[in-house]
Amino acid sequence: MKLLMAIMSLVPLAAQQPPPDAKPAAASETASPVPASESWLAGSIDLGYRGRTNVAGSLDTYRSVVNLGSGPKLLGAEFTLTDPKRRIFDEVRVRAYSWGDDPYATFHLSAKKAKLYDFSSDYRDIAYFNYLPSYADPLLGRGIVLNEQSFDTRRRFAAFELDLLPGNWFIPYLAYDRASGSGTGVAAFVSDANEFPVPNRLRDETNLYKGGVRFELRRFHATVEEGGTAFKDDQSLYQAAGPQNFGNSTNPFLGQTLYLSNLLGAYGIRGTSFYSRALMTANLTSWLDLYGQFLFSQPDSSIHYQQSDNGNLVLQSQLLFYNGQQYLVSAAAKLPHTSASFGGELRPLRRVRVIESWLTDRLHEGGTATSVNQLFTAPNRTTQITALLASSLATNYSQQQTDLFFDVTQRLTLRGAYRYVWGEAGDTILPPAGLASADRGKLRRNVAIGGVTFRPSQRLSISGEAEGASTGGTYFRTSLYDYQKVRAQARYQAAASLSLSADFSLLNNQNPLPGVHYDYLAHQNSLSFLWSPGGGKTWEFQGSYSRSTLRSAIGYLSPQDLQPQQSLYRDNAHTATALVDLKVPGISGFAPKITAGGSFFISSGSRPTSYYQPIAKLWLPFGKNVAGFAEWRYFGYGEAFYLYEGFRTQMVTAGLRLTR
Amino acid sequence: MEAVTGHVSHGAMIRLRVLVVLALLAMAGVKAAGQAAPSPYAGSEACQTCHEDIFNAFAKNPHHLVETDARPGWKAGGWQGRACESCHGPAQKHTESASAEDIRNPAKLAAAAAGRVCLSCHLNQPTHAGRLESSHAKNDVSCTACHKVHGNGPSGLVARTASAINQQCSSCHTGVWAQFQRPSHHRLPEGAMSCVDCHNPHGSIRPAMTQAFGANEPGCLKCHGEKRGPFAFEHAPVRFEGCRSCHEPHGSANPRMLARQEVRNLCLECHANLPRVTNTNAALGVVPPAFHDLRSPRFRNCTVCHQKIHGSHVDRNLLR
Repeated sequence: MKLLMAIMSLVPLAAQQPPPDAKPAAASETASPVPASESWLAGSIDLGYRGRTNVAGSLDTYRSVVNLGSGPKLLGAEFTLTDPKRRIFDEVRVRAYSWGDDPYATFHLSAKKAKLYDFSSDYRDIAYFNYLPSYADPLLGRGIVLNEQSFDTRRRFAAFELDLLPGNWFIPYLAYDRASGSGTGVAAFVSDANEFPVPNRLRDETNLYKGGVRFELRRFHATVEEGGTAFKDDQSLYQAAGPQNFGNSTNPFLGQTLYLSNLLGAYGIRGTSFYSRALMTANLTSWLDLYGQFLFSQPDSSIHYQQSDNGNLVLQSQLLFYNGQQYLVSAAAKLPHTSASFGGELRPLRRVRVIESWLTDRLHEGGTATSVNQLFTAPNRTTQITALLASSLATNYSQQQTDLFFDVTQRLTLRGAYRYVWGEAGDTILPPAGLASADRGKLRRNVAIGGVTFRPSQRLSISGEAEGASTGGTYFRTSLYDYQKVRAQARYQAAASLSLSADFSLLNNQNPLPGVHYDYLAHQNSLSFLWSPGGGKTWEFQGSYSRSTLRSAIGYLSPQDLQPQQSLYRDNAHTATALVDLKVPGISGFAPKITAGGSFFISSGSRPTSYYQPIAKLWLPFGKNVAGFAEWRYFGYGEAFYLYEGFRTQMVTAGLRLTR
Repeated sequence: MEAVTGHVSHGAMIRLRVLVVLALLAMAGVKAAGQAAPSPYAGSEACQTCHEDIFNAFAKNPHHLVETDARPGWKAGGWQGRACESCHGPAQKHTESASAEDIRNPAKLAAAAAGRVCLSCHLNQPTHAGRLESSHAKNDVSCTACHKVHGNGPSGLVARTASAINQQCSSCHTGVWAQFQRPSHHRLPEGAMSCVDCHNPHGSIRPAMTQAFGANEPGCLKCHGEKRGPFAFEHAPVRFEGCRSCHEPHGSANPRMLARQEVRNLCLECHANLPRVTNTNAALGVVPPAFHDLRSPRFRNCTVCHQKIHGSHVDRNLLR
């Protein structure tokens, strides 16, 4: 009876337990985001062949700017694998683009299983070819066109990341990144009174390992991460014994012709680092959010440089000619680097927000280098010079900013902010060379900022920001000093089928200090639109136009006579892009599509340049799962001051898209 | 015994009747209370009735997890069965009136208010450690400007492929995208890179919301590792002001994305201070020695000799 009474009296309590609105049932059964009826494999693959005409003009510049070649290509592949039974994975996504000796091939694979793991990987293979005759060519003034800073290398990047227990409050993760480069190039071997272009073999590699834990709770989050890198760089310069290399200076030095007979120089650079990273966010109350970051890294490196060369060379400081040299350098450097930031958002009133942030970045580098330079001046006669140098470079940067936001209405927000930036920097090498022993600079800057965000209707939004600063000290003559920055953006949905956006930016920087007189003004106006009547069912037109101007003038001293000079730079550019998509009425719903457009860039000023890239594409569906495509592209590049760098070429690509 | 039994039985019966009455009253009270304050929530199935297309699409959306799962970062007790209302707020009134006035539409809220709807679940995640320092947050760019909350494509809520990401960013940053049409540029228009390879749209401790490599090193070094150092002989601007002191990373008409048409201009604009024993209050960078005669072509391109311009392990003058 008591039991019955107890049960009866608990009935109301039990009746209170489930809130009438809670519907915890039907949980995991409906979790599948992929209906069972869908295919386990979905995606597409684009295969084709690209043919390119001969490049008219400079092939080297073409390869430096475009570098697309002929041949069969895997132009793109995207597919998703899903496992309806969810045994090892829920889904796997694969993306690959531009395979088949293209200058930039990418591959991405990700796999995940709910609440167990989330894995992603990326691979990129990018060709870095750079051989622009006008760059770094000291003989250009004599009409000799070559390049002493050029590369024909490939850089490869791989990244793997694994998150365990995603969606949990406790998420461990691991990651591994690898970046490597290899190839050849041309570099200058610099000796006193002359420099000699020589072949350059490049090979470097960086491996990064990291692991950490994320704690994601309702009112608090923390991430703790530890990582490290291993780096090596085995660059080498060489010139086999053979014809003499007379270098850039063909004038005799004190009556003797300088030349290089052979060279072997090897950089054996090794580096390691470890780092720590801690992040925190918290929202302790409904009116306060806090965040903080603490980051510390300490890379170090060491080198054993070996150089052996022969020829007729000179040591200018001692007027000593030599015909052989062995140069050894052992150096090491360490760079402890600490960064931290802390801040919060305070919402004291419904319409008012205050963001307070503080940031510091402290970097102190120290290095030493010991060298032994053995010069062979005559048979069985050597001169040895040893040196020990120590260097230090330090910068302490701090910034504090307060932002005040006021929501005047739901459509209008005003912002006012004040930022104070301060820091010190120094750069010292001991023992000093000449008069200069140490460079030190101070940074002091007061910045006022105002901004507005205005959305008078759903169709129109305007935002703008203006920033003005006065500076009491800066590190470099070209640094921001007394400056004004303005940025504005607007977006307007003029009609259901037409949207417009505009972008404006301006930077005016003045440094009035004697001898500097830096005057810099840059602004850019851009307008873009998308017009797609009927939702783009028949045609669609999108385009953009951008106009930019840059004017810079600053005083400097010509080194040979210390006479004041002025460095002027002008760049006035027009850039436009346009693309029209036209869907041609087809048969049985398979409508061909034609795309035409491209981009052009034309500039005047200090380096007048034009660069045209028109494109046309035809898309022909053959059936539900097969479509053909053909694309024509043209590249035209010209420079008014360096006519020999211009090029023109066109290419046609044709292929098939297979879809499942 | 019988009398006793009858007495006990009578008393027990009275107590039982009282308890039954109390229990019935309590149940009635609960029911009455329930009638007085009905739940403001309608549940997702009620939303499906009118918004079936969105409801069905949402089933393939990563946010569908809210419908089926409870998570510590979310509302106490979870939002199971009420995923729609986790963003749109209680919908019971809206289901009765079918009026848009009776439901919260984050797309119509001010950006900061819309952002707070998202952050009610997503605030305590690592992506937000630098959010308040980002220019997106300070210029009231809402989460939904980039993330499609109802999106159900292969990429989920946000663009994932390089070309899609670039298209999304350039829809606002039109001027920046125009710079990538210049001949010397990072390979974004070609689809080999995306804006988020270099920038973190949620904010970063580094300037211009740029990504960090390792903990706090410039993100540029992720790809350009050979320029990372540390070097026994550093070039100060690389450390103090970063790559942008000499390069235009979005694109330039000048080779190597340099900020000037000739290397000597770039160098001499800074290297124009007379040397002092201790340079305490002037800008860094001293004028080169006099043998650098600019009238000779050999001295017009500084990086021919100073080829280790990003820093050297071997030579204080960055020659090798």
